[in-house]
Amino acid sequence: MAQSTIGIATRSRTPTRLGIVTAISFLVMVILPFVVGEFQVSLLSKLLLFGALAISLDLVWGFTGILSFAHGVFFTLGGYAMAYYLKLNLSAENNTYGGSLPDFMVWNGLTELPWFIAPLKYFPIAAIAMVLIPAAFAFLIGWFIFRSKVSGVYITIITLAISSALTTFFISQQAYTGGTNGITDVSKLSIFGINIPPNGLYWIILLFTTFVLVGSWWLTQSNFGLILRSIKENENRISYLGYDVASFKIFIWTLSAGIAGIAGGLFVPLNRFISPVYLAVAFGTQVVIWVAIGGRGTLIGPLVAAILLGQIQNSAERVTQDWQLVVGVLLLIVVLFIPDGLVGTVQKLFMKKQQPASTKQPVIDHN
Amino acid sequence: MESILSVKNLQVVFSGFKALKGVDLEVGDREIVTIIGPNGAGKSTLLDAIVSKSPVAAGNVYFQGKDITNKNPYDIARMGIGRKFQNPNVYNELTVFENILLALKGTHGILNSITTKLTKTKKDKIIDVLDRIGLLGDAATIVSSLSHGQKQWVEIGMVIAQDPSVVLLDEPTAGMTPEETHATGEIIKTLARNHTVVAIEHDMDFVKQIAERIIVLHQGAKLAEGSVDEIQSNPKVIEVYLGREKINDAA
Repeated sequence: MAQSTIGIATRSRTPTRLGIVTAISFLVMVILPFVVGEFQVSLLSKLLLFGALAISLDLVWGFTGILSFAHGVFFTLGGYAMAYYLKLNLSAENNTYGGSLPDFMVWNGLTELPWFIAPLKYFPIAAIAMVLIPAAFAFLIGWFIFRSKVSGVYITIITLAISSALTTFFISQQAYTGGTNGITDVSKLSIFGINIPPNGLYWIILLFTTFVLVGSWWLTQSNFGLILRSIKENENRISYLGYDVASFKIFIWTLSAGIAGIAGGLFVPLNRFISPVYLAVAFGTQVVIWVAIGGRGTLIGPLVAAILLGQIQNSAERVTQDWQLVVGVLLLIVVLFIPDGLVGTVQKLFMKKQQPASTKQPVIDHN
Repeated sequence: MESILSVKNLQVVFSGFKALKGVDLEVGDREIVTIIGPNGAGKSTLLDAIVSKSPVAAGNVYFQGKDITNKNPYDIARMGIGRKFQNPNVYNELTVFENILLALKGTHGILNSITTKLTKTKKDKIIDVLDRIGLLGDAATIVSSLSHGQKQWVEIGMVIAQDPSVVLLDEPTAGMTPEETHATGEIIKTLARNHTVVAIEHDMDFVKQIAERIIVLHQGAKLAEGSVDEIQSNPKVIEVYLGREKINDAA
């Protein structure tokens, strides 16, 4: 029998083409700093990180069906870890108060560095914390949510609550977090004494986002991805096939939070500050919008949407301060007319072209 | 005879309503047992309680001598009890091949699922299953575009791929044409050569085709038990199916 008729082989043709497109885009992106100005490089770096954050949400929402508004939280936790590192490594003359204590701590009457922040002075510890703190936090939440079989909209409500609670908590702990202002005036990124120029940071970020995209694609093409998709469609059925659904959910949830944390960590040297704004529900919603517009379960869609919307926002801001109106209208159009999102719709058109409608038995759909 | 599956005084209560009022059931290795009974008799509930879909209020379920009452569904599945649900409970958004692949016997851990490859052995196993359920040509078809009967076969295929010691089938022929029903009967008979089968059925022709022993449930309790002939001539059974000449019309 023809092997091509068996199984998934026929489905993976589109990703091959997508892979070529991705590779070409990557190369174009690599040489971009030589073509565009400094501002564009900085903006693109930021948007690539938002793209990676959107991909991390796509893993849990698009593939596994868990809608989370807390991905801004994981992003920001990673961001704070890096922000402490950069703040603590400000050279003494750059520090307003000359000492080793960050300015906001001085203002709030702290006389010495809290023990839980002090180790972040060292890059390896900060780098580990940037992944581990959001991941551990996610693991803890995930353990309780998924083991107790909370599902669907209730998870989403819990993520909203987490986002709100952490925003309030970070604002209230002014002496340790810098309150509403967050951690500002951080040093430029230097790793083991080597200063990273803006273009260098851009390439690091480009590599990271590419790695997240390709890694996520590889992960979702495996049996693991198949299991995630079945959990999304019907999580009860698969437990009768011998799968421990909760452990799969906890795993992808934690992994996703780790990715979001790294994105947040890389965001701080670029943005030069981190604040509870990124913990808040509004930012979490932004991530959800990128995934919805780009196309759930497409990985590249959310990335493209984050970059495009960022550029639109940048242009629209020059014309009007009400750019969010533009995004709002776009979201409405997508939700109402193209629920698969931009890339999802394009992919479906491709698949239809490849597989001409076969003359099969009448379609009876029981859903 | 040594029982592979043993249900003792099983009770299931749904918010005060006793769906099962102490049912006993012994199933021998590689036996085919058919459960019949009017709607609401507790047939599906009995299978649900065995696989921990419905919580057991009292009584016990033993599998190969081990108490599995109210254990995690995935543990029960891993021990070797497979279940086919009443309405085809398959993955509509996945291909036929992927549905079978998901069910394939093996380890079900996270790391394993990431690193595992689709080996030739696995592929051959899946092709063999597809062949048995007559869907080899539809391997790459998305399940939502299949007919109701074909979906039933996909789920039977999933159970075959799972290769459990005990197969629990809930109305495997519901919605099938007589020809499809007969074909399904043959699949199940082949299955029974190396599996134990417990099936819920309405279609008496089908029951006659496959059954070795029949159990009649009525209002959450066992009403009768025996061969096809014994059941058909049992006055209590006839009374339950009141107003009908024969239980042939029991559907």
